[in-house]
Amino acid sequence: MDMHMVSTYSEYETEKIGKQFAQYLWAGSIILLSGDLGVGKTAFARGLARGLGIEEPITSPTYTLIHEYTGRLPLYHFDVYRLNDVEEMGDIGYEEYFYGDGVTVIEWPQRICEILPEAYLTVEILKAEQDNVRNILFQSKGFKYAALLKELNLI
Amino acid sequence: MRVLAIDSSTSVAAIAIAENDHLIYEIYVNRDKTHSQKLMSMVESALTHAELTLQDIDVFGVAHGPGSFTGLRIGVAAIKAFCHATGKPAVAVNTLDALGFNIPYFSGIVCPIMDARREQVYTATYIWKNGCLMRQSEYMVLHIQEYMKFLEQKQGPILFVGDGVPLYGVQFQKYLGDRVLLAPFTCRMQQASSIAFLTLQDVQKGKVTDYNFLAPFYLRRPQAEREYEKRMEK
Repeated sequence: MDMHMVSTYSEYETEKIGKQFAQYLWAGSIILLSGDLGVGKTAFARGLARGLGIEEPITSPTYTLIHEYTGRLPLYHFDVYRLNDVEEMGDIGYEEYFYGDGVTVIEWPQRICEILPEAYLTVEILKAEQDNVRNILFQSKGFKYAALLKELNLI
Repeated sequence: MRVLAIDSSTSVAAIAIAENDHLIYEIYVNRDKTHSQKLMSMVESALTHAELTLQDIDVFGVAHGPGSFTGLRIGVAAIKAFCHATGKPAVAVNTLDALGFNIPYFSGIVCPIMDARREQVYTATYIWKNGCLMRQSEYMVLHIQEYMKFLEQKQGPILFVGDGVPLYGVQFQKYLGDRVLLAPFTCRMQQASSIAFLTLQDVQKGKVTDYNFLAPFYLRRPQAEREYEKRMEK
């Protein structure tokens, strides 16, 4: 697993990183997004959406499991925290999203590790000691995402 | 007996209106999957062009699966709404049966193949006998390699139809040889006229459904099988 870390000093900057990050994504990319409550996951996802040319408001899909947006690439934003059983992912037809034509972002991915694709990029947002400071840790699994990390080094 | 039929099970959105043995209207759009935005206005324009209102429809037919989960939900929900509003019955038509019906009177095996992602297809095998389409297998979701081995046992020409053709047609041809034929785009994809025809056929057999019991037919591998496969991968 390769890794890359970026520090941000405000929610706005976290969003900006998401936006820059989006330009490196392709149809079928899988992003596992984690971090504690209030750490800025939605801000990052919003930035990512803006980077894909999506102008709609981005809200957390906590109660709806998935939000779908249309942009340069479609964005499938999952939050699987409220899932009772991984089988329920089958009921919503997750394969159409994970192996589809868009960018898939999954929050709380550890709840569905049985069905995660072989390769993906994890984005972990960590609180630093100082208020409002965040360390965003990117880690890759699979060579396509390792190549993506190399490009991220330029950010 | 007038039928309005919808198929939104794939990237195609299709609508047809038929009356007894007469196709009045048919439309097919295969452009981005935006069924939820397009379907209602397509129905509206279908009725307008056919000079009918929703009240003039006697039965509603829908391709209820297998297919894209989202697409199936959109089609089934739309038909439920029409039935609820008009008090008319519904008919659920299997998407694979309807695709088989796109290829009338073929003398070999008709194989509808629909993309189920990860090199899997939704499929079943059919033959035509005495003018009737007869299903010869279960409705299946199979990896294309498994399906090739399955079809290798069968004799005679095999015709593939469905959105799996551009994805896997050539691979089937390479494996099974020149007895494989691929449907041209004129009849390859979902046609709502096939749904309409099969709906009327079901009405004659009395196979109409109360819309409350209408549900998408999601075809999935049994859980045990998927778990086994996952273990084997590791």
